[in-house]
Amino acid sequence: MSDRITTGMVAGSTLADINAAQVAMARTQQELSSGKSILEPSDNPYGASQALTLQSALDGFTAYEHSAQDGISWLNISSTALAGIDNQVQRVRELLLEASNGVNNHSDLSNIATEVQQLTEGVKQDADTQYAGQYVFAGTLTTTSPYPQGKNDVYQGNAGTVSRGLGPGSSVNVSVNLASVLGNGKEAEDGKLLDTLRTIAQHLNEGTPAAVEALASSDLKNLDTNLDALTSIQAEAGAITDQLNLAVSRIQGLQATATQQLSNVQDANIAKVSIEFSNQQAAFNAALHAGASIVQESLLEFLH
Amino acid sequence: MSIPTLQGLQTALSGLLAEQQAIDVTGHNITNANTEGYSRQTAVLQTNSPLRIAALSSITGEGGQLGTGVSVATYTRIRNTYLDAQYRTQSSGLAAAGTQAEELQQAQGAFNEPSSAGISSQLSAFWTAWNSLADSPSSEAAKVSVVSSGTQLTGTLHEVDAQLQMLEGQVAQQYAAITGPSGPVQDDATQIAQLNHQIKLSLQAHQQPNDLEDRRDLLVDKLSALADVTVAKETDGTYTVSFGNGAKPLVEGATVNWPQALTAAAGGQLGALLELSSPAGALAKYQTALDGVAETLASSVNALHTATPFFTGNTAATIAVAVKPAEVQTSSTGAIGGNDVALAITGLRGGIVDQGYAALVEQVGSDVQNAHNDQTNAQAVVAAVGNQRQSVSGVSLDEEMTNLITFQRGYQASARALTAMDEMLETLISHTGVAGL
Repeated sequence: MSDRITTGMVAGSTLADINAAQVAMARTQQELSSGKSILEPSDNPYGASQALTLQSALDGFTAYEHSAQDGISWLNISSTALAGIDNQVQRVRELLLEASNGVNNHSDLSNIATEVQQLTEGVKQDADTQYAGQYVFAGTLTTTSPYPQGKNDVYQGNAGTVSRGLGPGSSVNVSVNLASVLGNGKEAEDGKLLDTLRTIAQHLNEGTPAAVEALASSDLKNLDTNLDALTSIQAEAGAITDQLNLAVSRIQGLQATATQQLSNVQDANIAKVSIEFSNQQAAFNAALHAGASIVQESLLEFLH
Repeated sequence: MSIPTLQGLQTALSGLLAEQQAIDVTGHNITNANTEGYSRQTAVLQTNSPLRIAALSSITGEGGQLGTGVSVATYTRIRNTYLDAQYRTQSSGLAAAGTQAEELQQAQGAFNEPSSAGISSQLSAFWTAWNSLADSPSSEAAKVSVVSSGTQLTGTLHEVDAQLQMLEGQVAQQYAAITGPSGPVQDDATQIAQLNHQIKLSLQAHQQPNDLEDRRDLLVDKLSALADVTVAKETDGTYTVSFGNGAKPLVEGATVNWPQALTAAAGGQLGALLELSSPAGALAKYQTALDGVAETLASSVNALHTATPFFTGNTAATIAVAVKPAEVQTSSTGAIGGNDVALAITGLRGGIVDQGYAALVEQVGSDVQNAHNDQTNAQAVVAAVGNQRQSVSGVSLDEEMTNLITFQRGYQASARALTAMDEMLETLISHTGVAGL
């Protein structure tokens, strides 16, 4: 402290103090009105860069959660189609058992054959299921119908797989390999479902004792094998759905943590800031009051 | 030798005159209480040469000296040149820190972080667009959104780069304006040179040019905010002013040496401006870092988007989206529903591009923070030194009022002494020598 206080010094320091109080109040006011403690990177450089990283990570979690949900919908559509195929194949199996009991005449068998043909078309229709304009069973040729209606049973898709991202470097294959169950039809003689179904219809139409015999033996056996394969890809689809559901809850957990962290880094502590603000207001009032009384006071008041 | 009869009147008169001059000085102080750069003055009172009395005592025969009153020897301005030098050093430091803080604050504003319009948000939106494309790789809308978010991102990169460029230009302009022929350096230096001349003449005439010296010191104070200033007082009373790190003194006697080349080491506002606009300065550093972000963005996306480069250009100013929506590649096999490329690009989120940019923002933030801290510290020091200076040189009205009373009473007392003398002489003239009349 100086020994000699001059009029200018008192006025200057009073003004500086009032200014400083106002600057502090303006800052606190900004924090209160924005709810943020970091308004510019210079407020907390490390915190600001952390906030940017966390915000981007949060956006990422939202996007990945969206992807996982999208994958779940894709698989739900796929599973519905698989269940439809399963039902129709089960119906074929019932018809097969009915046809092979030996009491049906030729026209009965022919009627059954017609139903089997219809069911086969139904299976192919289910195989053409789309999700948001994409064929779910066509590999990565998502704009090509994998099994168009009609005689041609050859798979039109490819062996590619479609994935959904669950995080950086982590993704899940949501393509169900239905072609491995349906196969390429009668000409291919691959023993797959479409081959089996077409063979069954052919045997029913033939209606010969040998054909009926085949219905009960090789056709039934093949159909059961195909059904097993179908069940296994259904289970696979279910497992992937579970995996995606787990991923969604994991991502939501991460999202909650990141949101909390982000809030810790950049949000103002309203209670603390409010108390600070009251303190600053009190200090400001005191500075104004003191300034008003000190600056006016001088020896002149007392000289006459 | 005896004492002249009217000596007492002369002594009292000298008191009257001296007190009157002291009151004049007090009045000068009071009227200049709020004048910038004014130093309070005092009338230095001194006893007059005494009257020698050869044999005062008739007994011992020893002589004596009789006081003959008072006179004003000189008017002194009360000033501490050591505090002046200190003040000027700190003032140039404050101006440098203030300039740094102001310009860097503007650079920070160019980045506009954290906000939904900054590069960070745009980058995030770009990755999200790739994520949506991975979910529906055959969707035309998703491809359009990838391209438009990419275009927005590159647009923001251009904008920030252009603003940094503009700031650099403004800094250079500011330097040119201050150092130019009608700038404050030239003005102040010319006035100092003129004052040097007038002060020299006054001193030669044995007059103390207090007010001229105050004005000259104020001009040097102003110069000290522009660059480091050192002052040497010559024997003839003139100032030799060195300014920044110029080769020659800015002012020598009545001569001005300006313009001169300065470097970033000049200190003050000019030094800070030179430092900011130099190739190694903060603004150039930010631009380089931003170019680095643009280059990593282009190279890391292009490395995955192998069909055609997604971005062209490798600086913040030149980077641009090079593909049309139909050319956006989602899979490495080209299959319409494949999404391995889109997924891989999505996976770049949080990678070196984001990290590089976050590091840049942190760098800018901490530079601004440091500059603000430097400014606050320098402000405190300047305020402290300024207060010390004020404490020495500033006018205190209370003090001047007290002085006024003191001198007024002194004047009254001298007048009373004069009256006493007068009455004495009255006795001598009117009441003596009338015996026998």
